[in-house]
Amino acid sequence: MARQTQDHEIVTDSATAAAPRESRAWLWSPGLGVVVLAVIGLVPLTGDQSALSLWTFIVMYCVLAQGWNLIGGFAGRAAFGNVAFFGIGAYTVALLLERNQSYWLGLVLAPVIAGLFAFLLGLPVLRLRGHYFGIATLGVAEALGQVVQSKNVGAPSGEISLTPPSLNFQVSNALFFYGFLALSLVTLLGTTWLTRSRFGYALVAIRENEQAAEALGIATYWYKVGAFVLSALPTAVAGGLFAYWQLSFDPVGEGGAFDVTISVAMILMTVLGGAGTILGPILGAIIIEYLDQYTSTAFTTIHGPLLGALIVLVTIFLPQGLVRLVQELMRAPVGVKQSYPMRVRQGVQRVTRFLASNGI
Amino acid sequence: MSHASSHPTASSAQGQALGQAQPPLLELEHVTKRFGGLPAVEDLSFSVRQGEVLGMIGPNGAGKSTAISLIGGALAPTAGTVRFQGRDITGLAPHRRAQLGIARTFQITQPFAQLDIRENVIVGALFAGHERSRAAAAQRADAVLERVGLARKARLKGEELTVADRKRLEMARALAIHPQLLLLDEVMAGLTLREVGEAVELIREINQSGVTVLVVEHVMRAITGVSDRILVLHHGRKIAEDAPDVVLSDPRVIEAYLGERYARQRAAEQARGARESERGTPELPTPVDTWKEGQA
Repeated sequence: MARQTQDHEIVTDSATAAAPRESRAWLWSPGLGVVVLAVIGLVPLTGDQSALSLWTFIVMYCVLAQGWNLIGGFAGRAAFGNVAFFGIGAYTVALLLERNQSYWLGLVLAPVIAGLFAFLLGLPVLRLRGHYFGIATLGVAEALGQVVQSKNVGAPSGEISLTPPSLNFQVSNALFFYGFLALSLVTLLGTTWLTRSRFGYALVAIRENEQAAEALGIATYWYKVGAFVLSALPTAVAGGLFAYWQLSFDPVGEGGAFDVTISVAMILMTVLGGAGTILGPILGAIIIEYLDQYTSTAFTTIHGPLLGALIVLVTIFLPQGLVRLVQELMRAPVGVKQSYPMRVRQGVQRVTRFLASNGI
Repeated sequence: MSHASSHPTASSAQGQALGQAQPPLLELEHVTKRFGGLPAVEDLSFSVRQGEVLGMIGPNGAGKSTAISLIGGALAPTAGTVRFQGRDITGLAPHRRAQLGIARTFQITQPFAQLDIRENVIVGALFAGHERSRAAAAQRADAVLERVGLARKARLKGEELTVADRKRLEMARALAIHPQLLLLDEVMAGLTLREVGEAVELIREINQSGVTVLVVEHVMRAITGVSDRILVLHHGRKIAEDAPDVVLSDPRVIEAYLGERYARQRAAEQARGARESERGTPELPTPVDTWKEGQA
């Protein structure tokens, strides 16, 4: 303020002329995400069917976590019922296949129906504050599964069993893998584009401070509804792929299309990797799903407690996620020239502070 | 788009002269706000003229922040009408009012904690500021940050700022809107004497660039120098509205701030002529300020 002069217009003009060029540093996160997905794309070449199954699940969870990331990570609203969209997608496809309709029609209708559902659900529940929103979404997802089961949707007790596609088993598995991979790539690119747009700024502002966001001209309610709908779309398509890939599944219980643990997994993966980052959900999906499968075979009896301990450790030490840790390391003042060792030293200091503030 | 920026640089005196010909920029008519029957603001009517700086003061709990929220739209009045540029905005959501050009700061600062300072300001430019592209918004943000003296801290996070810088950030975000009307809710509370001086200077500059300002303060000294008129709230009611020197010698105002006994004492002192008015010189605290600081 001390530098203010009467003709501050001139000062500001020169300031904008001298402003640093837009940093491209943000590209590392989506860029690395694309690289990781590309490497995962090589898995079918190994011909190992059990590895293919594991990595298909991982890529599916990349989609689900990235979808949750929109409402949970960017808009900061703890949705606990996103599995509802997954289930709606799965049952849309299953019901159409049972009626000998085209699979592609199902894949198109699944996100439409789930998006509409998210819109109608979002209108009331996004008026709720804090935990109440989480509880409401959890309840609705659970209720949907129960309704499908008790109303015998698609089959007695909703227990779907579909005729396999007329394809070689291995070929079809590889195709589903690449289907999920393409979907996760589209979701990643779409999310990246969104976060650089006004829409993304609105969501982050809402997450950080809804009152201030509203005072700066953001129609917070409608942006939240929009984020909820967008998070439903890829989730529903993934559900549709899941249905025809798995062929038989239940509405509720373990492995069910409305299984609450799928919602929990989406959240855990995104938070571990870094909620509100592009790379975070992918990293989280790989780590958690891989550990889950590994511990369930290697430590069958204590598989559950091991994962539980992981959740506890993540919430204590890394509530902001892995990617945020790296971002904190790289954050440096713009326009200030620093030697490399100095930048590293300051980065390490910031990370130490960052970890300390998380309760260590 | 940037309608506010094209404003001619009008001094506040010119603004006032215009204000008498034009309808007021902001008008409150018999506005009442009760919280569960408890009145926070009672039958409040006043107007802010185009181009002026209107100061609003009052003791703790007088209803100042409530009044700001009623104008900004965060609260809806129990009764009464709020008009902006002659238009009834009583039922309008806060984001719509911001888009119309009403910017506000928060007494308890509300930064976007995980965003850096520059991005905090970009949000303002991008939405209520009507910038379509991120690049244009960033440019405006850089200009605003330079203006409030935060340019060198642009990459710090909202949560890493000192009290004074948090207040500056509140101002910067509001300015990025290019507002018609700027509502400042205690932007000087908790600042050092030197920082208060800087803030006053900034408010004066903002006003001279054509922005009408309603500045709410607890610290009287800060506000008297910069305000064209001062309005005093007490228990949610308006007890005075006039030029600063008139308001400050109003016995009802002194009583509201310092209690009845002091008001009597002071009247007696003045009658004896034993006391010179210190109020004109900002370096020396007035009794009002001394008392306030003792309370804080």
